[in-house]
Amino acid sequence: MIAVLVDAFSVGGLYALTALGIGLIFSVMRLANFAHAEFVTVPAYALFVLSGHPVIMAIASSVLIAVMLALATERIAFRPLRGIDPATMLIASFAVSMFLQRLLVFAFDSRIKPVDPLAVLAGSVRLFGAQINLLKLTTMVTCLVLLVALTVFLKYTRFGLEMRAAAEDFTMSRLLGVRANRVIATAFVLSALLAAVVAVLFSAQTGFVHPRFGLQIVIIAFVATVIGGLGNLVGAAVGGFLVGVVSTLLQSFLPPDLRPFREAFLFFIVILVLLFRPQGLFPARGLKERI
Amino acid sequence: MTRQDTSANETTWQLMSWERLERLVPLLILVAVVAGIMLLASQFGIVQQRRVTLGFISLISVVGLYVFMGNSGVLNFSSVGFMAIGAYVSALLTMRPQVKATFLRDLPDWLAAAQFDPITGALAGGAAAALVALVVGLPIMRLSGIGAGIATLSILIIFYIVLGNWTGVTGGQRSLMGLPTYVTIWNAGLAAIGAIVLAFVYQESRSCLALRASREDEVAARSAGVRVVRERLTAFVLGAFICGIAGVFYGHFLGTLRVENFYLDPTFLYITMLVVGGMRSLTGAVVGVIVISTLAELLRLLEIGGRLPALDVTLKAPAGLGDVVLAALMLGIILFRPQGITGGREITLRGMRG
Amino acid sequence: MSALLKVRDLRVRYGRITALYDVDLDVSAGEIVAIIGPNGAGKTSFLSAIAGVVPADGGTIEFRGEDILRLPMEESVRRGIALVPEGRHVLPGLTVMENLRLGATIRTDADAVRSDLERFLDAFPILRERRNEPAGRLSGGEQQMLVIARALMSRPAMLMLDEPSLGLGPRIVEQVYDMIMDARKQGVTILVVEQNARRALAVADRTHVLNGGIIRLSGTADTLAGDPQFEAAYFGLRTAKDGVVP
Repeated sequence: MIAVLVDAFSVGGLYALTALGIGLIFSVMRLANFAHAEFVTVPAYALFVLSGHPVIMAIASSVLIAVMLALATERIAFRPLRGIDPATMLIASFAVSMFLQRLLVFAFDSRIKPVDPLAVLAGSVRLFGAQINLLKLTTMVTCLVLLVALTVFLKYTRFGLEMRAAAEDFTMSRLLGVRANRVIATAFVLSALLAAVVAVLFSAQTGFVHPRFGLQIVIIAFVATVIGGLGNLVGAAVGGFLVGVVSTLLQSFLPPDLRPFREAFLFFIVILVLLFRPQGLFPARGLKERI
Repeated sequence: MTRQDTSANETTWQLMSWERLERLVPLLILVAVVAGIMLLASQFGIVQQRRVTLGFISLISVVGLYVFMGNSGVLNFSSVGFMAIGAYVSALLTMRPQVKATFLRDLPDWLAAAQFDPITGALAGGAAAALVALVVGLPIMRLSGIGAGIATLSILIIFYIVLGNWTGVTGGQRSLMGLPTYVTIWNAGLAAIGAIVLAFVYQESRSCLALRASREDEVAARSAGVRVVRERLTAFVLGAFICGIAGVFYGHFLGTLRVENFYLDPTFLYITMLVVGGMRSLTGAVVGVIVISTLAELLRLLEIGGRLPALDVTLKAPAGLGDVVLAALMLGIILFRPQGITGGREITLRGMRG
Repeated sequence: MSALLKVRDLRVRYGRITALYDVDLDVSAGEIVAIIGPNGAGKTSFLSAIAGVVPADGGTIEFRGEDILRLPMEESVRRGIALVPEGRHVLPGLTVMENLRLGATIRTDADAVRSDLERFLDAFPILRERRNEPAGRLSGGEQQMLVIARALMSRPAMLMLDEPSLGLGPRIVEQVYDMIMDARKQGVTILVVEQNARRALAVADRTHVLNGGIIRLSGTADTLAGDPQFEAAYFGLRTAKDGVVP
């Protein structure tokens, strides 16, 4: 039972981090960033390329590459589109995503590549009388630590305050002196950091990367973002865990015939939420007064 | 009534009929272009003909996508899913019972034993897509903007998962083989022309006019009495029907169905075609398909390696470059010319002269 | 006296509609200047252009002798111009405290920021009482106090207010204007836009009547009140309708 829970929370944690990465950018610029998939895939490829080198170096470089990629896409593709309608931005991010994905296919072909950045954590430990996979435990703990760190950043630093303000009312925040470019760049950097961590942990779990590596997790994370309420960061995190836990439980307890369809249920829920609770299942405090 | 009045009335009437004719000009030009391509390509070898046929199938699908997305201005990522429905329905109805028995064990007896003619299969494919669109569209037509984008994407994903795992009926992850391959450049070309005519007739209808009004200003259209959800649904169902037909042709062109062929890559391709051409006009849809197909073909030839006879140089581009260039082009169009090549206008004689 | 704000030939257009035609206006340091006029006169466009929210189509805006016409809005507050836009834009999900802190986000003098904060919380006990609640839960009047206090937290040289009395009861309006007068005593120059002409005339050193994108009349409360043209300028005559240059 504990093993199943750790399983569920380690999966949920990855979804939560991914959903937060998407939510951070959405909240400041109303961009549902499809290309977040490649913010995850590209650092995973960096791990593959650097797989001979010391682990720390490989991880550090892949984080750096993710951040540079995020800043570059923001500068080249999204900044010129700022203020345009969200639907067009969604198409644009779809285009960015496809462009990067195809660039990866072009550079590395589309076959899967082996990676194992965290081979150190192959073993397992006994905890509360259960055999727990060390990697999954690390994943879970890392996710929790990052969530706490992000909360502290947003809640107690000036940058964090500026980001939350920009998420609520971008123009008013600028009038108060919040610099638009800096806030958006910060959101992209944070998003990329989270994506890189997901890349390391997720590739360690799967053991390989391929051009659609990030897409599979990002598509599910979108579910979490919608369920949590677009632009609502707490909602995104909770939604991520919820989706992870629900899908793990469905995987364990659903009759085998229905298991392959479990993700279809998730997307069905997405449509229901969009229709009936467009603010998400956990509406943010203070939001009601605004509407 | 005086004489003068009568003659004034006659002039008005003549003007109106001339205007009416002029309104048909875009349709006539587009049909002529497609017919011209069809006739020209039929003079070439089978390989070239097949490339053009595939282009026509894209054209049908993009026209189907345009009917909803172009006229309503609402994002739609699900059109390829309706292609899949058309393709699988037609496949199940037209495949030989012996073939079905080998691959698909869970079919109901009547379906397993039946084999219909291609036209019944095609119409049933289109109708099935339209029917599903009606059911699915009814609730989601309320959404617009980003909500519509995510909801239609969810629909595409649901179709993909269901078709990919319903192994007894669709073959699941394996390919479904043995579809009768009856598609030629002629029937695909005619179907493309048919799709264009259908889209044009719809576009000129009162219903579509109301829908276009809601595209420009949803609130104003609503308060002017436009039933936005109903008009959107009409376009969505019609678009799905056309996409379903596109799927039918696609399946019977290849003879093999893989669920992967109905997921994100073609979705991106068709949206690219529509956006590049200009999503707000039928001309844009057609131009987008022609431009992107031509470009893709050139890049493909370049990847195979082409000789420039005049210069006696052999050019060879690395594999995969074409896809990268197309995605970059799409991005460039969104950034620098978001209204597409046509700027959302229909082609006219005046436009052609100037 | 040299002007703190010097606007010349300011023109603002939205597509084909012109909101301001070649407006000239000076504000001297320490003054309270009011702009009054009916709805759609171009008052909001005027403040928005100065703050950099909308781009000007032509003309010059100088503040403390520096050209600020093309400055993005996040920079104008750094030059000392604070705008309180119409409609009480509190950041509803942030707490009262966070709203105030954000007002000082351009400042680096942490100690002075803290004492300014205390000062406002002392002056408005209701804000202190609800300092950890989301600002969206405050009443309309409290929100108006909060946004003015927040603007003052940037220690501006000039405070611009767009319709500060709109939608508030008479008692609250008095409190809001007390607050504005207080700021002025601290040396802040005030540029206020009002539909409530009487209220504005009562406090302003000089008042301009803006209508149809043109300044029709200027003067002190006394001269304006006695001016037979005042009503015509304010309500607009048929010959001076919106958008028609007389």
